[in-house]
Amino acid sequence: MLAALWQGPLVRLVPVGMVLLALQRSIFVEITVAGVIIQVVLALAAAAGAAGGSERGAVAGFVLGLMYDMLEGLPLGSTAIAMTLAGAVAGLLALIVAEPHWWLAMLFTGLGAAVGEIMVPVVRLFTGATDPFEQRLTLIVPVVAAAAAVLSPIFVPLARWCLGIKRAEWVAPPRETPV
Amino acid sequence: MALYTVGRRRVIIALLLTSVLLLTLDIRGNPVLDRVRDGFSRIMEPFESATDVVTTPATRAWHGMTNYDDLERENQALQDQLDRLIGTQATARISVQEYQELRALLNLPSLAGIPTEVAQVVGASANNLDQIIEINKGRSSGFKVGMPVVNQAGLIGKITSVTDNTAKVMLITDARYVVPVRVQAAPDDAEQTPVETRPSGRTDEELRDLVTTTSAPPTTLATDVLDTGTVLPQGDDGTVPVTTVEEPTDPDETAPVETDPGEPAVEATTTTIATDLAPKEFGALEGRGRGLLPQIRFLQDNPGLATLQVGDLVVTAGGADSLAPPDIPVGVVINRADRSGPGGPLLDIQPYADVTKLNFVRVVKYTPLSEVER
Repeated sequence: MLAALWQGPLVRLVPVGMVLLALQRSIFVEITVAGVIIQVVLALAAAAGAAGGSERGAVAGFVLGLMYDMLEGLPLGSTAIAMTLAGAVAGLLALIVAEPHWWLAMLFTGLGAAVGEIMVPVVRLFTGATDPFEQRLTLIVPVVAAAAAVLSPIFVPLARWCLGIKRAEWVAPPRETPV
Repeated sequence: MALYTVGRRRVIIALLLTSVLLLTLDIRGNPVLDRVRDGFSRIMEPFESATDVVTTPATRAWHGMTNYDDLERENQALQDQLDRLIGTQATARISVQEYQELRALLNLPSLAGIPTEVAQVVGASANNLDQIIEINKGRSSGFKVGMPVVNQAGLIGKITSVTDNTAKVMLITDARYVVPVRVQAAPDDAEQTPVETRPSGRTDEELRDLVTTTSAPPTTLATDVLDTGTVLPQGDDGTVPVTTVEEPTDPDETAPVETDPGEPAVEATTTTIATDLAPKEFGALEGRGRGLLPQIRFLQDNPGLATLQVGDLVVTAGGADSLAPPDIPVGVVINRADRSGPGGPLLDIQPYADVTKLNFVRVVKYTPLSEVER
């Protein structure tokens, strides 16, 4: 599985993730919305799910989450679980349509990001944090989800490029030759 | 697009289980994972530096648009505060010196004897739950996990992870932060008014009379300088020249004042606050997350001895197992919440240090006694 990951999406996903992580830790820490830090890396994981389905979304979320944990000094795997679920949930929602419209992709990305952000304190709870569910979570989750939805018109094509996903093409059936 | 299949579900479950496995290994402590993390941080350094350079103009523009009014108000408030602090600085120096001498005489541990090192804040936590900052010095500067971090105002947190050139500092507002503290009585309002005295115990008025009866040049008192807002004359080394008044051995006898005729003299004053800073209670200060004030738990209110109240001062308690040495100022009690049962009251603490605006911090290279013995 690891060899397949390396030959497949990782070649593009890792460098893009590194750039996004650097942006996350510089500009997006400073530019906040109502005091909430917009989670661009989580948005990309959810967008990957909306663009490529649950499996690809989960793989992208796992890789981006591990990178996030390594750079932030968090326990390795804690954010990876949240982002894996974000990508998987966005991908599962995207199953309802064959080729989601841009506004549907926005919705799926936003919902996936919301699930990912909710999962962060849930994972903290299992790793021993006493009271990870802050009151601000009711503000944090909608803002993060809305930001991910707004970013999805950029991130869905970016995720498609990273994961090598091609748009579905509708091919007309071959003409029947007259007898 | 293919439909949802068992194969897809297996991939998702496998990834989740891998995450759990990594999480378990990392929480239990794994040197291989630590090395991988260090390596990734080094790889990311050029990316982050380049991104900082590129995004700094955008960040500044954003702050310029959104924070201009706040900055102007803050600037005015800081100017007022600076004027007041200049007034108290000279007298505070004397008090600190006396305090350190007394500590040395009593052989008590204090922050004065512990080496510290200044570091610059270079980053902050990118998620919405952690209250963590990153500083630009690490293992190569002798920093270790657990060392307390302070600024000029007081305690701001502790180091939670170090690499060769960086360290992460968990702030006192983080929900996972705990430190043993001591609550001590604040001075009463009536006693908070500083009483300025001379070594002889004479008041300013008495000394003015004393000076005018001699032929010495006009004397400028420290209080006069501060009242008029005049900048204190400074020597080459930046210190304020102080001319002492030699007190006569006989109080009835007047003595000439030794002053430099060329410049106004400033008399030595000692500002004292008659306070009783007796410790009231020991407890554990816990952070509660972004935007919430830290609280002190595990307190027992004993009205017979002392009542915990708003305005009480909070300092670190120290002790053999504490990661912070004693007597680092932490904050002041601004709210008391009584609880039924044996839980004791909860105290809300306003930290002295503003952890939302940190630029330079000081790492206290303190090792707890329990660690030293090992």
